[in-house]
Amino acid sequence: MLEALEGSQAIARAVALCRPGVVAAYPITPQTHIVENLSKLVADGRLETELVSVESEFSAASVALGASAAGSRAYTASSSQGILLMAEVLFNISGMRLPVVLTCANRALGAPINIWNDHADSMAVRDCGWIQLHCANNQEAVDTSIQAFRIAEATELPVMVCVDGFVLTHTLETLEMPDQKLVDAYLPPFRFSRMLDPKHPLSLGTLVGPEYFAETRQAHHRALLDSVGAILEADRAWQAATGRSCGGLLTVEGPEDARIGVLAMGSLVSTFEEAMEVLPGRKKAKLIKLRAFRPFPDEALRHVCEGLTDLVVVDRAISTGFGGVLGGEVRSALLEMKKAPKVHNVALGLGGRDVPMEMWPRLLAVPKEVEGFRILDLDPAKLEPADL
Amino acid sequence: MTEPASLRSRQPRFRGLEAGHRACQGCGEALAARLVTESAGPDVILTNATGCLEVFTTPWPQSAWRVPWLHSLFENSAAIASGVEAALKAQGRRTKVIAMGGDGGTFDIGFQALSGMLERMHNVLYVCYDNEAYMNTGIQRSSSTPHAAMTTTSPPGKNRMGKRHMKKDLLSIIAAHHVPYAASASVAYPQDLRRKVRRAMEIEGPTFLLVHSPCPLGWGHDGTLSIEIARLGVQTGLFPLIELERGEVASVMPIRNPVPVVEYLKRQGRFRHLFSDGDHRAREEREHLQALADYNIERYGLKGDGDDPLDTDGADTVRRGGPART
Amino acid sequence: MPVTMTRGAFALPGTSLAFKTGTWRNTRPIHTHAAAPCHGACPAGEDQQEWLARLQEGRPREAWEALVAMNPMPAVTGRVCPHPCESACNRGQYDSPIAIHGIERWLGDEAIRHNWAYPLLDVPVRSQRVAVVGAGPAGLSAAYHLLRRRYNVVLFDAMPEAGGLLRSAIPPTRLPRDVVDKELGRILALGIEFRPRTALGRDVSLDQLRSEFDAVFLGVGAGKSRHWDVDGAVPADLHEGLGMLKEWLVVGALPTPNAVVIHGGGNTAVDLARVMRRAGVKDVHVVTASGLPGPDTEPDDVLNVVPRELEQAVEEGVVFHPHRTINRLIMRGSKVVGVEMVRLKKLPDGRGRKSRVSFEGTETVLHVDMVVPAIGEVVDPTGMESVLHGKDYIKTDRFGRIDGQAGLFAGGDARDWLKGLTGGTVSAAIGDGRRAAEAIDALLSGREAVEPVRPPIRYDRLNLAYYENRPRIPLPTLELEKRNDTDEIEGGPSGAQALAEANRCFSCGNCLACDNCWTLCPDNAVVKTTELASDGSHYVFDYDYCKGCGLCAKECPCGYIDMVPDE
Repeated sequence: MLEALEGSQAIARAVALCRPGVVAAYPITPQTHIVENLSKLVADGRLETELVSVESEFSAASVALGASAAGSRAYTASSSQGILLMAEVLFNISGMRLPVVLTCANRALGAPINIWNDHADSMAVRDCGWIQLHCANNQEAVDTSIQAFRIAEATELPVMVCVDGFVLTHTLETLEMPDQKLVDAYLPPFRFSRMLDPKHPLSLGTLVGPEYFAETRQAHHRALLDSVGAILEADRAWQAATGRSCGGLLTVEGPEDARIGVLAMGSLVSTFEEAMEVLPGRKKAKLIKLRAFRPFPDEALRHVCEGLTDLVVVDRAISTGFGGVLGGEVRSALLEMKKAPKVHNVALGLGGRDVPMEMWPRLLAVPKEVEGFRILDLDPAKLEPADL
Repeated sequence: MTEPASLRSRQPRFRGLEAGHRACQGCGEALAARLVTESAGPDVILTNATGCLEVFTTPWPQSAWRVPWLHSLFENSAAIASGVEAALKAQGRRTKVIAMGGDGGTFDIGFQALSGMLERMHNVLYVCYDNEAYMNTGIQRSSSTPHAAMTTTSPPGKNRMGKRHMKKDLLSIIAAHHVPYAASASVAYPQDLRRKVRRAMEIEGPTFLLVHSPCPLGWGHDGTLSIEIARLGVQTGLFPLIELERGEVASVMPIRNPVPVVEYLKRQGRFRHLFSDGDHRAREEREHLQALADYNIERYGLKGDGDDPLDTDGADTVRRGGPART
Repeated sequence: MPVTMTRGAFALPGTSLAFKTGTWRNTRPIHTHAAAPCHGACPAGEDQQEWLARLQEGRPREAWEALVAMNPMPAVTGRVCPHPCESACNRGQYDSPIAIHGIERWLGDEAIRHNWAYPLLDVPVRSQRVAVVGAGPAGLSAAYHLLRRRYNVVLFDAMPEAGGLLRSAIPPTRLPRDVVDKELGRILALGIEFRPRTALGRDVSLDQLRSEFDAVFLGVGAGKSRHWDVDGAVPADLHEGLGMLKEWLVVGALPTPNAVVIHGGGNTAVDLARVMRRAGVKDVHVVTASGLPGPDTEPDDVLNVVPRELEQAVEEGVVFHPHRTINRLIMRGSKVVGVEMVRLKKLPDGRGRKSRVSFEGTETVLHVDMVVPAIGEVVDPTGMESVLHGKDYIKTDRFGRIDGQAGLFAGGDARDWLKGLTGGTVSAAIGDGRRAAEAIDALLSGREAVEPVRPPIRYDRLNLAYYENRPRIPLPTLELEKRNDTDEIEGGPSGAQALAEANRCFSCGNCLACDNCWTLCPDNAVVKTTELASDGSHYVFDYDYCKGCGLCAKECPCGYIDMVPDE
């Protein structure tokens, strides 16, 4: 059934359809509406879950950790500083291989404090050992939220569903909400093999010394690499059930013979899709939507880059002192290609700066303008010359 | 058969914490954890803050625990316990959750998570093993370290006589949460400790237990003396044993014959500087600690009147076949 | 073989058992069953701690059985023994000693009341025959312990009844005759062949016995008063103490002067003093070289009298003159009209040996019309010439063996005592009889005689935190005005009192089964056993895990755990 829903509301409804046993809630802009909506669903009796309104994001993640270990489907959501406050716990959740699902309503990091969208938060916890999936629109946010539980529980890896703060979370879209029956059929009841249970009293979260630590890391790394299969399977099964796909690891669109490619994540992809139609420009270009940032799909990426001469990688975050995080990773992934496209890395829309459709033609001109990395939508007039 | 190995599995008590853990000789915390888990029984799930207890019980691939046990971080024992409890509630399971931490993880870094857990009324017993400093990192002062005690971050010197500040009155803060039950206990009084654990286990809702647990290494005494020193801690009034119901003092362990604090202090290296000859500050700090003990005795009405089987002299009396009172 | 990493590094329960922390240890705890001071002090060799433990467990019959493994006549000794066990009791330094004698007496009386059977040893019946001469405490003890070991025992006595000085020298006010009849009757009924009215040297000779029996034990006692004079002076009408007491016990006759001085510091002196007081003698004085019990008196210098007897005697009006001796008799013609006393004390001489030194200038005079020596007795040499060699007593080793006289043993008052704290008591005689039985058994079995000795436990090895002050049970005493020549003056405890009093026992040096070690081991390295462990305790150290911290040793209330260097 098509409904016009705010992104946060839609995500909350999707999470509710997954019947989480425990939801840990703590407010932070722009994630707040998700936990508000979940709280309302609980209050209205439409969601049966243990809603724990914690006293910090740190505890939100900790509650999810404990709940998951105790054998319940656990969910929480956060943004920005909240993600950073959780950081320690995020590493713990994945290191213990707990299938927690978290929505990151992406937001910039302070200082200066800024509540608007970019990807600095999820990028900051890039190495926390979670699966990170980015959503281009709210339909994808709904579908990915549901898929995330299936992936997490199949792999025993936590999944972070990244949705752009405000741009998606606070935007009304018409979208298809699956019904409960469909979700129940798609998502089997929660079962966790190492559940805390007095009948099988395991110790979780042990101390591992130098003699075994590398092995824990290898096992974790291998699990993340292998989760590619689970991500693709979850999307295929979802497509079979709903007719909709979120694009697996990545998707590519545009003319087959295009020599320029643009790679982006999140809602920018939707903007650029629209722009390709409205403002096609003179050059043919492919648009690559990267959905899975972790595991990083380097092989699939090399495949879609065959035949390209230039690839513009759009970051919505900056690794200060280096450049775009995504740009760096794509560049290194493509090094193994025989004829790799030249990578041009730009950052756009930091701290919620609007990225209008008009940006598309500018991106197509980037191969001529940008060597290495540049923040593309800077206004030089707003900077001291020395800071340029 | 009186071979230890065959007897071990037939002990008339529950073994929550098994032998083979790597605590130091005479570790008060290991003893306290053993007593708490054996009193609580098998139907529990433990959470554990980072610290000695976590380290010495679970060097992978071994674990000394015989109950489900979860460790995550230094500061989130109460929060993961909240999550475990929420999950149990969601699943309709009646298993009790016990969160554990040292004084660092409880008084200091995990304080917020603890407060949140208490405020949300989770059905969790939180046990703080109070050895009055950060022992796992090598004896640094915590907010639980007693006044004037020497730690590696509160060393005595020309300008200092050990820790400048007072021991945080955590129980009063716990009391302010109006939880159904909170108490202090000591490894020197195992029957009292066991009773308090059982009492807390019976209560639906958040409960709190502060267990005075000597650390031979950190306090500077022979492991042999752990119990004796803990006993003196109680008998001097420096570590009062009290019980709070909904934040109100409901009962105390009366002190039959209050012992001067120097008896407690002189046995411990962390107070050695309080006995240096010719330093007027040493006398001053000893008097200060005596005044703090007297303050506790007065505040909680600890001075017993006559012989009481549950006072500091009566509570550990034994007879043939076990403790005189259980 | 490396272990395979588990998902998320989880571990299985209790797997720490694979890590043997026992390797960290450099001292190890061991159970040391040291001798409780009561046991160490008991001349009969009783292990009071052991039988009090049985009583604490609520098993009085087992307590009695443990007791009579050493001493077959607790109903008697519980009444007459000066109980050095109580003087030694560690509880005395804490609050007040356990009333061991009262509990012993209660157990003895219970056994008589219920006719509990004496447990004999489960050993093959022996064909050898042993003669025991003298049916006093020593002879009865020897006969009993030999019978326990399944020997054929023939017990000889000159008197018509067994009992020796229990009948001839102890007033019924201290030891009722029916207690003697019953307890001794039960011992004889075990199968001892008793031949009364058979005196050595008159009815049977020592040589005869030695040829007829495989071994002979002489428990003939010391029936002859020691010679007494003061600088050679002796009153014409001298009565000596034991003789007077015997005459009073048998015939009921007693001289009643106005004032009497009894010279001596033993039970005979005190018993006689009390009897004479009750018979109406106005002034009864006891002059003794020993001291009264008190902080200033050395333990080996105290009157060898049951302490409470002394108290009762004082209550009854007997006047004691301690640390004094009689220096001179004041005579009018051949009649005594007074004595001159002088103060003295036992002091070490130049070679460190203690001897009595009198102090010139401390002479005082007592006006009396009778002086009675009660300074002890010696062996009646009739029929004993071949072993006495002209001495007052028979010289033996601690097992009663007589040098150069294989198969001949002696004990009790007849033996050459190092007179001191415990010598010459009923309990000492019982101990002698038991050790001699062991030596006889050893001789007839071709082995060495053994008397297991355990190291004593020091008071400071106890952990007093685990005990509480609890007053000693009061034992009933007949009021002064109700005392007479027949009724027992002191009463015994009730069963509940005896049990309560037994529970005061510290269990010095032996396991109290209090669970402290088990409760307080941080390392779960003390395991509890329902069966008794080989060392007699209820706990076993698991040396695989014990780190040697010593908490168990420190917190053992009884000092039962020692830390020793680990190999």
